Amino acid sequence: MYKRVLARLLRWTLRLDVVINRVYPEDFNPLYYTGGLSNLFLTVLILSGIFLLFYYIPSFNEAYTSVEFVTAQVPYGQIIRGIHRYSSDAFMIAILLHLFRNWFTERFRFSRDEPWISGMMLLLFAGFLGVTGYVLVWDQRAELLVAMTGNALASVPGIGGWLRTMLYGAPGTTNLLLPRMLYLHVGPAVVLYIFLWWHYVRIRHPKVWPPAVWTLFSLGLILIFCSLLPAVSQSQASPVATPTRLAVDWFFLLPYVVLTYLSPLWLILLGVVIVAYGLYIPYQLPETETAMGLRDSGVAEVVDANCTGCELCYYDCPYNAIVMVPSPHPGVTKAAQARKLLAIVLESRCVECGICIGACPFEALELPRLLETDIQERVLAACRS
Amino acid sequence: MDARAAAYGAWIAALSVLSLVCVLGIVWAEMTSVQHPEHRLVGGALIGIVLLAYSFILLFLRKGGFTGV
Repeated sequence: MYKRVLARLLRWTLRLDVVINRVYPEDFNPLYYTGGLSNLFLTVLILSGIFLLFYYIPSFNEAYTSVEFVTAQVPYGQIIRGIHRYSSDAFMIAILLHLFRNWFTERFRFSRDEPWISGMMLLLFAGFLGVTGYVLVWDQRAELLVAMTGNALASVPGIGGWLRTMLYGAPGTTNLLLPRMLYLHVGPAVVLYIFLWWHYVRIRHPKVWPPAVWTLFSLGLILIFCSLLPAVSQSQASPVATPTRLAVDWFFLLPYVVLTYLSPLWLILLGVVIVAYGLYIPYQLPETETAMGLRDSGVAEVVDANCTGCELCYYDCPYNAIVMVPSPHPGVTKAAQARKLLAIVLESRCVECGICIGACPFEALELPRLLETDIQERVLAACRS
Repeated sequence: MDARAAAYGAWIAALSVLSLVCVLGIVWAEMTSVQHPEHRLVGGALIGIVLLAYSFILLFLRKGGFTGV
Protein backbone atom coordinates (compact mmCIF):
# COMPACT_ATOMS: atom_id res chain seq x y z
CA MET A 1 0.00 0.00 0.00
CA TYR A 2 2.72 2.45 1.08
CA LYS A 3 4.78 1.55 -1.98
CA ARG A 4 1.79 2.07 -4.29
CA VAL A 5 1.05 5.49 -2.81
CA LEU A 6 4.72 6.44 -3.05
CA ALA A 7 4.86 5.29 -6.68
CA ARG A 8 1.80 7.38 -7.53
CA LEU A 9 3.25 10.44 -5.77
CA LEU A 10 6.48 9.92 -7.68
CA ARG A 11 4.58 9.90 -10.99
CA TRP A 12 2.74 13.12 -10.07
CA THR A 13 6.01 14.77 -9.01
CA LEU A 14 7.69 13.87 -12.29
CA ARG A 15 4.65 15.05 -14.29
CA LEU A 16 4.80 18.36 -12.44
CA ASP A 17 8.47 18.61 -13.41
CA VAL A 18 7.56 18.05 -17.05
CA VAL A 19 4.88 20.77 -16.93
CA ILE A 20 7.23 23.30 -15.29
CA ASN A 21 10.03 22.43 -17.70
CA ARG A 22 7.75 23.44 -20.56
CA VAL A 23 7.56 26.96 -19.11
CA TYR A 24 11.06 27.35 -17.70
CA PRO A 25 14.41 26.15 -19.02
CA GLU A 26 15.30 22.96 -17.13
CA ASP A 27 18.05 24.56 -15.07
CA PHE A 28 15.57 27.23 -13.93
CA ASN A 29 12.94 24.77 -12.65
CA PRO A 30 12.26 26.06 -9.10
CA LEU A 31 11.48 22.56 -7.84
CA TYR A 32 15.11 21.61 -8.47
CA TYR A 33 16.19 24.40 -6.14
CA THR A 34 13.91 24.07 -3.13
CA GLY A 35 16.99 23.44 -0.95
CA GLY A 36 18.75 26.47 -2.40
CA LEU A 37 15.65 28.58 -1.90
CA SER A 38 15.53 27.49 1.76
CA ASN A 39 19.12 28.67 2.08
CA LEU A 40 18.27 31.98 0.46
CA PHE A 41 15.38 32.61 2.85
CA LEU A 42 17.49 31.54 5.84
CA THR A 43 20.15 34.06 4.83
CA VAL A 44 17.51 36.79 4.50
CA LEU A 45 16.14 35.80 7.92
CA ILE A 46 19.57 35.98 9.55
CA LEU A 47 20.37 39.39 8.04
CA SER A 48 16.98 40.94 8.82
CA GLY A 49 17.08 39.31 12.28
CA ILE A 50 20.44 40.93 13.05
CA PHE A 51 18.93 44.31 12.14
CA LEU A 52 15.92 43.74 14.43
CA LEU A 53 18.17 42.48 17.23
CA PHE A 54 19.85 45.89 17.47
CA TYR A 55 16.55 47.45 18.58
CA TYR A 56 14.87 44.64 20.52
CA ILE A 57 14.68 44.85 24.33
CA PRO A 58 13.72 41.53 25.96
CA SER A 59 11.64 42.70 28.91
CA PHE A 60 7.89 42.67 29.53
CA ASN A 61 7.74 46.45 29.71
CA GLU A 62 9.82 47.24 26.66
CA ALA A 63 9.64 44.30 24.25
CA TYR A 64 6.39 45.42 22.64
CA THR A 65 7.34 49.09 22.49
CA SER A 66 10.78 48.27 21.05
CA VAL A 67 9.14 46.26 18.25
CA GLU A 68 6.67 49.09 17.65
CA PHE A 69 9.57 51.56 17.63
CA VAL A 70 11.35 49.60 14.89
CA THR A 71 8.10 49.36 12.96
CA ALA A 72 7.02 52.98 13.18
CA GLN A 73 10.11 55.10 13.82
CA VAL A 74 13.12 53.44 12.24
CA PRO A 75 13.43 54.21 8.51
CA TYR A 76 12.47 51.09 6.58
CA GLY A 77 12.01 49.26 9.90
CA GLN A 78 8.48 48.30 8.88
CA ILE A 79 9.76 46.77 5.66
CA ILE A 80 12.62 44.91 7.33
CA ARG A 81 10.25 43.54 9.95
CA GLY A 82 7.98 42.42 7.11
CA ILE A 83 10.93 40.84 5.32
CA HIS A 84 11.73 38.88 8.50
CA ARG A 85 8.09 37.86 8.87
CA TYR A 86 7.42 36.76 5.29
CA SER A 87 10.86 35.19 4.78
CA SER A 88 10.09 32.88 7.68
CA ASP A 89 6.91 31.69 5.95
CA ALA A 90 8.76 31.33 2.66
CA PHE A 91 11.49 29.39 4.49
CA MET A 92 8.93 26.91 5.79
CA ILE A 93 7.26 26.59 2.37
CA ALA A 94 10.62 25.91 0.70
CA ILE A 95 11.62 23.37 3.38
CA LEU A 96 8.29 21.53 3.09
CA LEU A 97 8.50 21.46 -0.73
CA HIS A 98 12.06 20.15 -0.41
CA LEU A 99 10.96 17.48 2.06
CA PHE A 100 7.98 16.26 0.02
CA ARG A 101 9.92 16.25 -3.24
CA ASN A 102 12.75 14.19 -1.75
CA TRP A 103 10.29 11.91 -0.04
CA PHE A 104 8.26 11.22 -3.18
CA THR A 105 11.37 10.75 -5.34
CA GLU A 106 12.91 8.47 -2.68
CA ARG A 107 16.03 10.56 -2.27
CA PHE A 108 16.51 9.21 1.20
CA ARG A 109 17.96 5.86 0.25
CA PHE A 110 21.48 4.56 0.88
CA SER A 111 23.84 7.25 2.08
CA ARG A 112 21.15 9.90 1.70
CA ASP A 113 19.70 8.96 5.06
CA GLU A 114 21.99 11.53 6.67
CA PRO A 115 20.70 14.46 4.60
CA TRP A 116 17.18 13.24 5.36
CA ILE A 117 17.71 13.02 9.13
CA SER A 118 19.51 16.37 9.26
CA GLY A 119 16.74 17.86 7.11
CA MET A 120 14.13 16.65 9.61
CA MET A 121 16.11 18.32 12.39
CA LEU A 122 16.28 21.53 10.34
CA LEU A 123 12.50 21.45 9.93
CA LEU A 124 11.94 20.93 13.65
CA PHE A 125 14.30 23.72 14.61
CA ALA A 126 12.76 26.04 12.03
CA GLY A 127 9.30 25.43 13.50
CA PHE A 128 10.57 26.06 17.02
CA LEU A 129 12.31 29.26 15.91
CA GLY A 130 9.08 30.50 14.36
CA VAL A 131 7.12 30.05 17.58
CA THR A 132 9.79 31.74 19.74
CA GLY A 133 9.82 34.61 17.22
CA TYR A 134 6.11 35.17 17.73
CA VAL A 135 6.56 35.18 21.51
CA LEU A 136 9.29 37.85 21.33
CA VAL A 137 6.80 40.44 20.02
CA TRP A 138 4.99 40.13 23.36
CA ASP A 139 1.56 41.03 22.08
CA GLN A 140 -1.67 39.22 22.95
CA ARG A 141 -0.86 36.38 20.58
CA ALA A 142 2.49 35.90 22.29
CA GLU A 143 0.80 35.79 25.68
CA LEU A 144 -1.65 33.18 24.43
CA LEU A 145 1.15 31.10 22.89
CA VAL A 146 3.06 31.13 26.17
CA ALA A 147 -0.05 30.02 28.07
CA MET A 148 -0.94 27.28 25.58
CA THR A 149 2.63 25.95 25.37
CA GLY A 150 2.94 25.98 29.16
CA ASN A 151 -0.32 24.07 29.57
CA ALA A 152 0.68 21.55 26.90
CA LEU A 153 4.04 20.88 28.54
CA ALA A 154 2.50 20.69 32.00
CA SER A 155 0.17 17.97 30.76
CA VAL A 156 3.06 15.56 30.22
CA PRO A 157 2.81 13.05 33.08
CA GLY A 158 5.63 13.13 35.59
CA ILE A 159 7.96 15.66 34.00
CA GLY A 160 5.46 18.25 32.70
CA GLY A 161 6.14 20.86 35.40
CA TRP A 162 9.88 20.41 35.01
CA LEU A 163 9.64 20.81 31.21
CA ARG A 164 7.69 24.04 31.57
CA THR A 165 10.18 25.40 34.10
CA MET A 166 13.08 24.46 31.84
CA LEU A 167 11.52 26.33 28.93
CA TYR A 168 10.30 29.42 30.78
CA GLY A 169 12.90 29.62 33.54
CA ALA A 170 10.31 29.56 36.34
CA PRO A 171 7.01 27.86 37.13
CA GLY A 172 5.01 30.96 36.18
CA THR A 173 5.50 33.79 33.69
CA THR A 174 8.43 35.81 35.05
CA ASN A 175 10.95 38.34 33.78
CA LEU A 176 13.14 35.42 32.76
CA LEU A 177 10.76 34.52 29.95
CA LEU A 178 11.66 36.97 27.18
CA PRO A 179 15.48 36.87 27.59
CA ARG A 180 15.13 33.07 27.49
CA MET A 181 12.94 33.23 24.38
CA LEU A 182 15.41 35.62 22.75
CA TYR A 183 18.21 33.15 23.40
CA LEU A 184 16.05 30.26 22.16
CA HIS A 185 15.30 32.27 19.00
CA VAL A 186 18.91 33.22 18.23
CA GLY A 187 20.77 30.16 19.59
CA PRO A 188 18.98 27.53 17.47
CA ALA A 189 19.42 29.77 14.42
CA VAL A 190 23.15 29.16 14.85
CA VAL A 191 22.50 25.44 15.33
CA LEU A 192 20.69 25.46 11.97
CA TYR A 193 24.04 26.02 10.28
CA ILE A 194 25.54 23.03 12.07
CA PHE A 195 22.67 20.91 10.76
CA LEU A 196 23.18 22.44 7.32
CA TRP A 197 26.82 21.32 7.41
CA TRP A 198 25.63 17.79 8.28
CA HIS A 199 23.01 18.11 5.53
CA TYR A 200 25.68 18.81 2.88
CA VAL A 201 28.63 16.77 4.09
CA ARG A 202 27.70 13.64 2.11
CA ILE A 203 26.59 15.48 -1.03
CA ARG A 204 29.23 16.27 -3.62
CA HIS A 205 27.40 18.90 -5.66
CA PRO A 206 24.66 20.40 -3.50
CA LYS A 207 22.61 23.19 -5.08
CA VAL A 208 23.10 25.60 -2.20
CA TRP A 209 21.73 28.67 -3.99
CA PRO A 210 18.88 29.17 -6.47
CA PRO A 211 19.52 30.66 -9.91
CA ALA A 212 19.41 34.46 -10.16
CA VAL A 213 15.93 34.31 -11.72
CA TRP A 214 14.48 32.76 -8.57
CA THR A 215 16.61 34.79 -6.15
CA LEU A 216 15.27 38.01 -7.68
CA PHE A 217 11.72 36.65 -7.94
CA SER A 218 11.65 35.50 -4.31
CA LEU A 219 13.10 38.70 -2.90
CA GLY A 220 10.78 40.78 -5.06
CA LEU A 221 7.72 38.84 -3.95
CA ILE A 222 8.69 39.18 -0.27
CA LEU A 223 9.16 42.94 -0.67
CA ILE A 224 5.77 43.30 -2.34
CA PHE A 225 4.10 41.24 0.40
CA CYS A 226 5.70 43.20 3.24
CA SER A 227 4.72 46.47 1.59
CA LEU A 228 1.13 45.59 0.73
CA LEU A 229 0.44 43.51 3.87
CA PRO A 230 2.73 45.06 6.51
CA ALA A 231 3.62 42.88 9.49
CA VAL A 232 1.82 44.23 12.54
CA SER A 233 1.52 43.29 16.19
CA GLN A 234 -1.71 42.69 18.03
CA SER A 235 -2.51 44.70 21.15
CA GLN A 236 0.14 44.65 23.86
CA ALA A 237 0.02 41.66 26.19
CA SER A 238 -1.77 42.47 29.39
CA PRO A 239 -1.37 40.67 32.72
CA VAL A 240 -4.99 41.51 33.53
CA ALA A 241 -6.71 39.32 30.94
CA THR A 242 -5.37 36.46 28.83
CA PRO A 243 -6.74 36.62 25.27
CA THR A 244 -8.71 33.62 24.06
CA ARG A 245 -8.56 33.98 20.28
CA LEU A 246 -5.36 33.05 18.43
CA ALA A 247 -4.34 34.92 15.25
CA VAL A 248 -2.94 32.04 13.24
CA ASP A 249 0.16 31.83 11.09
CA TRP A 250 -0.54 28.47 9.45
CA PHE A 251 3.09 27.66 8.81
CA PHE A 252 4.22 27.89 12.42
CA LEU A 253 1.17 27.87 14.65
CA LEU A 254 -0.79 24.96 13.19
CA PRO A 255 -0.19 22.78 16.29
CA TYR A 256 -1.90 25.44 18.38
CA VAL A 257 -4.96 25.23 16.14
CA VAL A 258 -4.97 21.46 16.58
CA LEU A 259 -5.15 22.08 20.33
CA THR A 260 -8.75 23.12 19.70
CA TYR A 261 -9.53 19.53 18.75
CA LEU A 262 -7.01 17.50 20.73
CA SER A 263 -5.94 17.55 24.34
CA PRO A 264 -2.36 18.84 24.87
CA LEU A 265 -1.09 15.39 25.80
CA TRP A 266 -2.54 13.84 22.63
CA LEU A 267 -1.06 16.66 20.55
CA ILE A 268 2.39 16.04 22.03
CA LEU A 269 2.02 12.31 21.40
CA LEU A 270 0.91 13.00 17.82
CA GLY A 271 3.94 15.27 17.31
CA VAL A 272 6.30 12.63 18.69
CA VAL A 273 4.77 9.96 16.41
CA ILE A 274 5.04 12.22 13.32
CA VAL A 275 8.67 13.11 14.08
CA ALA A 276 9.59 9.49 14.86
CA TYR A 277 7.94 8.35 11.63
CA GLY A 278 9.75 11.07 9.69
CA LEU A 279 13.10 9.89 11.07
CA TYR A 280 12.17 6.29 10.24
CA ILE A 281 11.26 6.94 6.58
CA PRO A 282 14.75 6.20 5.15
CA TYR A 283 14.69 2.77 6.77
CA GLN A 284 11.06 1.95 6.13
CA LEU A 285 11.00 -0.05 2.94
CA PRO A 286 11.87 -3.59 4.07
CA GLU A 287 13.10 -4.74 0.67
CA THR A 288 15.85 -7.24 0.06
CA GLU A 289 19.00 -6.02 -1.60
CA THR A 290 18.08 -8.00 -4.73
CA ALA A 291 14.61 -6.47 -4.90
CA MET A 292 16.14 -3.02 -4.64
CA GLY A 293 18.50 -3.80 -7.51
CA LEU A 294 21.57 -3.58 -5.31
CA ARG A 295 24.79 -5.17 -6.43
CA ASP A 296 27.14 -6.70 -3.96
CA SER A 297 30.14 -5.29 -5.75
CA GLY A 298 32.27 -4.28 -2.77
CA VAL A 299 33.70 -0.91 -1.78
CA ALA A 300 35.58 0.72 -4.66
CA GLU A 301 39.33 0.23 -4.57
CA VAL A 302 42.05 2.44 -6.00
CA VAL A 303 44.61 0.72 -8.20
CA ASP A 304 47.67 2.51 -6.85
CA ALA A 305 49.83 1.79 -9.88
CA ASN A 306 47.40 3.44 -12.31
CA CYS A 307 46.13 6.46 -10.36
CA THR A 308 47.33 9.74 -11.90
CA GLY A 309 45.80 12.01 -9.23
CA CYS A 310 43.64 13.70 -11.89
CA GLU A 311 40.73 14.17 -9.41
CA LEU A 312 38.03 13.14 -11.92
CA CYS A 313 36.69 10.47 -9.55
CA TYR A 314 36.85 12.95 -6.67
CA TYR A 315 34.65 15.43 -8.53
CA ASP A 316 32.25 12.82 -9.89
CA CYS A 317 31.53 10.88 -6.68
CA PRO A 318 28.10 12.18 -5.55
CA TYR A 319 28.63 10.83 -2.04
CA ASN A 320 31.91 12.58 -1.18
CA ALA A 321 33.43 9.14 -0.72
CA ILE A 322 36.72 9.93 -2.46
CA VAL A 323 39.39 12.27 -1.10
CA MET A 324 42.67 13.27 -2.66
CA VAL A 325 45.84 13.05 -0.56
CA PRO A 326 49.46 13.92 -1.38
CA SER A 327 50.92 10.92 -3.17
CA PRO A 328 53.53 9.14 -1.01
CA HIS A 329 55.21 7.65 -4.09
CA PRO A 330 54.91 7.81 -7.89
CA GLY A 331 52.60 5.45 -9.77
CA VAL A 332 53.76 2.70 -12.08
CA THR A 333 52.19 3.57 -15.41
CA LYS A 334 53.69 6.37 -17.48
CA ALA A 335 50.71 8.67 -16.81
CA ALA A 336 50.88 7.96 -13.07
CA GLN A 337 54.60 8.51 -12.56
CA ALA A 338 54.38 12.29 -12.26
CA ARG A 339 51.33 12.36 -10.04
CA LYS A 340 51.21 14.66 -7.03
CA LEU A 341 47.92 13.36 -5.58
CA LEU A 342 46.46 9.96 -4.90
CA ALA A 343 42.77 9.06 -4.64
CA ILE A 344 41.61 7.38 -1.45
CA VAL A 345 38.15 5.79 -1.05
CA LEU A 346 36.43 6.36 2.30
CA GLU A 347 34.90 2.98 3.01
CA SER A 348 32.15 4.33 5.26
CA ARG A 349 30.84 6.61 2.53
CA CYS A 350 31.11 4.37 -0.54
CA VAL A 351 27.80 2.96 -1.75
CA GLU A 352 29.43 0.71 -4.38
CA CYS A 353 27.65 2.52 -7.21
CA GLY A 354 30.60 2.40 -9.64
CA ILE A 355 30.33 6.03 -10.78
CA CYS A 356 34.03 6.53 -10.02
CA ILE A 357 34.88 3.58 -12.28
CA GLY A 358 33.14 5.33 -15.15
CA ALA A 359 34.84 8.63 -14.28
CA CYS A 360 38.37 7.23 -14.36
CA PRO A 361 40.02 7.08 -17.81
CA PHE A 362 43.11 5.35 -16.40
CA GLU A 363 41.51 2.16 -15.03
CA ALA A 364 42.69 3.19 -11.59
CA LEU A 365 39.52 2.21 -9.74
CA GLU A 366 37.64 -1.04 -9.52
CA LEU A 367 34.81 -2.70 -7.67
CA PRO A 368 36.48 -5.83 -6.29
CA ARG A 369 33.48 -8.11 -6.77
CA LEU A 370 32.38 -6.61 -10.08
CA LEU A 371 35.46 -6.44 -12.28
CA GLU A 372 35.48 -5.47 -15.94
CA THR A 373 35.92 -9.14 -16.87
CA ASP A 374 32.77 -10.00 -14.85
CA ILE A 375 30.78 -7.40 -16.77
CA GLN A 376 32.13 -8.61 -20.11
CA GLU A 377 31.11 -12.17 -19.23
CA ARG A 378 27.62 -10.99 -18.28
CA VAL A 379 27.26 -9.00 -21.49
CA LEU A 380 28.39 -11.97 -23.54
CA ALA A 381 26.02 -14.28 -21.67
CA ALA A 382 23.17 -11.84 -22.23
CA CYS A 383 23.99 -11.60 -25.93
CA ARG A 384 24.07 -15.38 -26.28
CA SER A 385 20.74 -15.81 -24.56
CA MET B 1 16.19 37.55 -35.54
CA ASP B 2 13.31 35.08 -35.54
CA ALA B 3 9.77 35.90 -34.42
CA ARG B 4 10.17 34.09 -31.10
CA ALA B 5 13.29 36.04 -30.15
CA ALA B 6 11.62 39.28 -31.29
CA ALA B 7 8.60 38.59 -29.05
CA TYR B 8 10.81 37.98 -26.04
CA GLY B 9 12.85 41.06 -26.96
CA ALA B 10 9.67 43.14 -26.91
CA TRP B 11 8.79 41.80 -23.45
CA ILE B 12 12.30 42.58 -22.23
CA ALA B 13 12.02 46.13 -23.53
CA ALA B 14 8.61 46.56 -21.86
CA LEU B 15 9.91 45.24 -18.54
CA SER B 16 12.95 47.51 -18.78
CA VAL B 17 10.68 50.53 -19.21
CA LEU B 18 8.55 49.34 -16.28
CA SER B 19 11.71 49.01 -14.17
CA LEU B 20 12.77 52.53 -15.08
CA VAL B 21 9.38 53.91 -14.09
CA CYS B 22 9.58 51.99 -10.79
CA VAL B 23 13.06 53.36 -10.10
CA LEU B 24 11.71 56.88 -10.58
CA GLY B 25 8.92 55.96 -8.16
CA ILE B 26 11.48 54.69 -5.63
CA VAL B 27 13.37 58.00 -5.84
CA TRP B 28 10.09 59.91 -5.38
CA ALA B 29 9.10 57.73 -2.40
CA GLU B 30 12.48 58.26 -0.75
CA MET B 31 12.47 62.04 -1.35
CA THR B 32 9.00 62.43 0.16
CA SER B 33 9.46 59.91 2.97
CA VAL B 34 10.44 62.48 5.61
CA GLN B 35 7.02 64.14 5.45
CA HIS B 36 5.20 60.92 4.55
CA PRO B 37 6.86 57.88 6.15
CA GLU B 38 4.21 55.63 4.63
CA HIS B 39 5.77 56.33 1.22
CA ARG B 40 8.58 53.99 2.25
CA LEU B 41 6.11 51.14 1.92
CA VAL B 42 5.40 52.31 -1.63
CA GLY B 43 9.15 52.42 -2.24
CA GLY B 44 9.49 48.90 -0.87
CA ALA B 45 6.75 47.61 -3.14
CA LEU B 46 8.37 49.32 -6.13
CA ILE B 47 11.74 47.72 -5.30
CA GLY B 48 9.88 44.40 -5.22
CA ILE B 49 8.38 45.08 -8.65
CA VAL B 50 11.82 45.97 -10.04
CA LEU B 51 13.25 42.70 -8.72
CA LEU B 52 10.34 40.74 -10.22
CA ALA B 53 10.83 42.55 -13.54
CA TYR B 54 14.56 41.73 -13.47
CA SER B 55 13.79 38.07 -12.79
CA PHE B 56 11.49 37.93 -15.83
CA ILE B 57 14.03 39.83 -17.93
CA LEU B 58 16.62 37.17 -17.07
CA LEU B 59 14.12 34.45 -17.93
CA PHE B 60 13.15 36.01 -21.24
CA LEU B 61 16.80 36.64 -22.16
CA ARG B 62 17.29 32.92 -21.77
CA LYS B 63 14.10 31.81 -23.46
CA GLY B 64 14.65 34.19 -26.34
CA GLY B 65 18.09 32.69 -26.91
CA PHE B 66 19.99 35.88 -26.06
CA THR B 67 21.94 34.20 -23.24
CA GLY B 68 22.74 30.71 -22.01
CA VAL B 69 22.80 27.42 -23.82
